[in-house]
Amino acid sequence: MTTAGSSPAILTDATHISQGAEAASLKVYKALLHQSSNSESTPVFLKYRFNKQYRHPTLDTSLTRSRIAGEARTVLKCLRSGVHVPGLRLVDASEGILGFEWIEGKSVRMLLGGGAEGEEEIEYSENLPEDEISDETPESELESAYRITPDALMSMIGSEIGKMHLADVIHGDLTTSNMMLHWTSSANSSPSVELVLVDFGLAYTSSLVEDKAVDLYVLERAFNSTHPDSEPLFAIVLEVYGKRVGKEWTSIKRRLDDVRLRGRKRSMVG
Amino acid sequence: MEVISYPYFPAHLSRAYIALYTSVTDAGSLRSRIINAATLASPEGDQERELLNFAFVDPRLITSALHVETAVYQAILAAAQGSLRTKTVHSEVLWALNPGNNISEAIRRYGVSDGCTSLLVIRIDSSELQDVEAKMGSVVSGQLVPLTQLGTLTDWAAVKKYHKLNQEAAIKAASGDIQKEHDVVDNIVVSSVAIKSVMG
Repeated sequence: MTTAGSSPAILTDATHISQGAEAASLKVYKALLHQSSNSESTPVFLKYRFNKQYRHPTLDTSLTRSRIAGEARTVLKCLRSGVHVPGLRLVDASEGILGFEWIEGKSVRMLLGGGAEGEEEIEYSENLPEDEISDETPESELESAYRITPDALMSMIGSEIGKMHLADVIHGDLTTSNMMLHWTSSANSSPSVELVLVDFGLAYTSSLVEDKAVDLYVLERAFNSTHPDSEPLFAIVLEVYGKRVGKEWTSIKRRLDDVRLRGRKRSMVG
Repeated sequence: MEVISYPYFPAHLSRAYIALYTSVTDAGSLRSRIINAATLASPEGDQERELLNFAFVDPRLITSALHVETAVYQAILAAAQGSLRTKTVHSEVLWALNPGNNISEAIRRYGVSDGCTSLLVIRIDSSELQDVEAKMGSVVSGQLVPLTQLGTLTDWAAVKKYHKLNQEAAIKAASGDIQKEHDVVDNIVVSSVAIKSVMG
């Protein structure tokens, strides 16, 4: 156990990547778990929920532990259901560390020209050599580096979310920042582009139509606010999503219309 | 033999020595030797236990080097934090590999069995340990091969059965493409090992 204020040893040589919207509760790092004599060490993505000084230590430990466990279980459930998510590499519930497979790719938000999110901007440009992308039009980056059209990207998004909801996993924070494109590198087959869903920190399990509709609504709002004129694009997401989830789509669609009228929160009156 | 260093752990847990042997001929006698060593009285017992102080893993249930490295990491982590669920860091490796919580089942499935013709030998210790490869060679008679051979020894049907993967959507989606299916299984299995400490 580390004493209050000091970080676990594994983070000493790790590269701090960014602090997103959840900066108050966690930090993310790129790190190496070990050094091997024969093979090249591959990096991992570390998510560290640090000690909260304002909480009672016992409560802090049990909250961190249950959040780590919850996120890890949800990711495993997604993996087993064929949703593309980063694989788990390390779970240290007592220190509050989750280690994921390193995904070398770009967020859909960047590729659609939404820019970086807040303070991530500075951090990203340090880590990625291709930080001159802002000069190009976003479509050309998507098409030159990943060789897919925006329409194809939208159908990949719809398909992944459909698979996830079929497994009754609700992401809870669907935005284009939490989706990444990367090239798969399989031993024998030719490389292909894959859409990966990341950050299951707010995810939970539910089979309710309401929760799935709200999940979609959150994404729709994210699309509209960060990518202007994205309505025809989002229509493709929904179309492919509908085909994926099958017969449940009719009721989710109807509920999504309701949610659009009232917003994410259900009315607490009456 | 591959040596992996863990600079962030205490000295006595800072190295993992991993070697893969094929054409193993003495798996049966090795197994009875291990069982015997557990009941031998000191000092002969201590000496014999030190000679056999390794984790012996059946590579047929291992999908990749990453799979075994992840189990080793979680075992070292548990040892460093004093939260071992089994008696030694080496048996903890076997426990981490098995999807269930039953220790004897883990050892029966993932440990050395009479029919093993290949063996993965693991030692977790300090960097000062000398002649590890020779020590391994003195208890296992077989041919030392690189860890990259691991994928070729895998019994995929058994892995899928033990991890209850046959009905999973991910496996069904990848059916028909053997390489892809193996990649998917490997990813799930590695993640299951990593998550072991918080499952259940």
